[in-house]
Amino acid sequence: MTKKIGLYPGCVIPTEQYGYEMSIRKIMPELGVELVDVENISCCGAPFKSINLVMQTYLSARNMAIFEMEDLDIFAPCPQCHLSLTETKQRLESSGELREKIVSRLLEEEGLEYKGALKIYHTLDLLHDLVGIDVLKGKVNKPLGWNIACHYGCHTIRYTGADRPDSAEHPMKMESIITTLGGTTSDYSEKLNCCGGPLMTTHKDSALTKAGEKLKAVQERGFDALAIVCPLGGRVLDSKQERAAGMVGEKLDLPVFYLTQLVGLSMGMEPESLGLNLNKSPVSKLI
Amino acid sequence: MTEISSITDLFNMSKPESSDIRRLEGELKVLGLSSPNICFQCSKCTSGCEAMKLLELQPHSVMASTKAGFIQEIIDSEVIWTCVGCYKCKERCPQEVSPVEVMYVLKNWYVASGKPIPGDYQNMLQNMITNGFMQGTMEVLDTENRAHDRGSLGLPEIKGPKDTAKFAMILSRMAVERLGGE
Repeated sequence: MTKKIGLYPGCVIPTEQYGYEMSIRKIMPELGVELVDVENISCCGAPFKSINLVMQTYLSARNMAIFEMEDLDIFAPCPQCHLSLTETKQRLESSGELREKIVSRLLEEEGLEYKGALKIYHTLDLLHDLVGIDVLKGKVNKPLGWNIACHYGCHTIRYTGADRPDSAEHPMKMESIITTLGGTTSDYSEKLNCCGGPLMTTHKDSALTKAGEKLKAVQERGFDALAIVCPLGGRVLDSKQERAAGMVGEKLDLPVFYLTQLVGLSMGMEPESLGLNLNKSPVSKLI
Repeated sequence: MTEISSITDLFNMSKPESSDIRRLEGELKVLGLSSPNICFQCSKCTSGCEAMKLLELQPHSVMASTKAGFIQEIIDSEVIWTCVGCYKCKERCPQEVSPVEVMYVLKNWYVASGKPIPGDYQNMLQNMITNGFMQGTMEVLDTENRAHDRGSLGLPEIKGPKDTAKFAMILSRMAVERLGGE
């Protein structure tokens, strides 16, 4: 059974975290998910919550309206986008004031109609719940065999009221996917810690220090690799791992993979087709 | 940047402003959020705060100052810009107060007052208004130092706002949009 779904890549994935997007586009059709690209999309507004919450709400509503008018549910692989879309949907349900301001005044100017009936997926619930563990298991022909730590990212799991892909304090869906792919994993006390990524806008040194602390903790616990599902995590934990190491005065050489890259590897796909030659962390130690 | 410890110095010279509290409560209500007035200072937010160790953010003390009416002082201290936005404080608050979102609202006030916006926001905002996204596509290097862009990686073009002029016009009007709810 094929499920058709609109891909909403956001800002960070399609401009720098190409490995995440490549692996998503590569694995999803094999798992029965047909991805549809949509025109006229823009930023979801999440990076601008600090600047103007009305603008954030407008931008998220605008993107949802565009997908709705194409009769598509939305797949937002970026947890920040996913949270912004979800909370906007809730705000527009509960606040007549915002609905009037945004839906009736601003969106109509662009000829857009927002209903708020679409479903919003993230990589984690798409793989774990929509595709499902059984289908995933059937596709594995090259079990991973590595001990992999899971990093969910803040917005994948918080806050509970905003209908997250997994539980805020005890998320386990990534672990269940990792073991399905033939990897092993275990809990670690820093699992729910932030990677520092969002601080890159205002406090770069602190952002990289947080990333370094997270990586150091995972490395010291003897994991072979770290799995992520967030492009801001990718930016600091993978792309800037060397600089993060400098901030905490450690030698860090921890392979960091997008979960979708791991799915692809376990299905026997070519590393380059999953963008793995773009990862800056030493993934070649394992593949 | 002013450290949170020096907020107390600012307090010596200031008077609480109850109209600010009413305006804040009104805006939080539009977002479906509780007033910081019901915060009972258990400090669960601060014990889990991701910006506490490195940047000395103490959400419970921001809430205490806010409910006491020292809102302008909190905005002037710039301590609100150290928030990572991890939502642990909101998740764990037994009173269902949301320090993270109170700080988002107060940062909106800071920006609306015309003060210089810290960090990369100005640049990101300009990109977004012009092209629809907060940053342009970047060239990246692979393990053999070959440069790649979307085209060379076989990725399709991302098609942003069709009517860029209208998009930019609507966004530039946001500068005066408020959550309302006074």
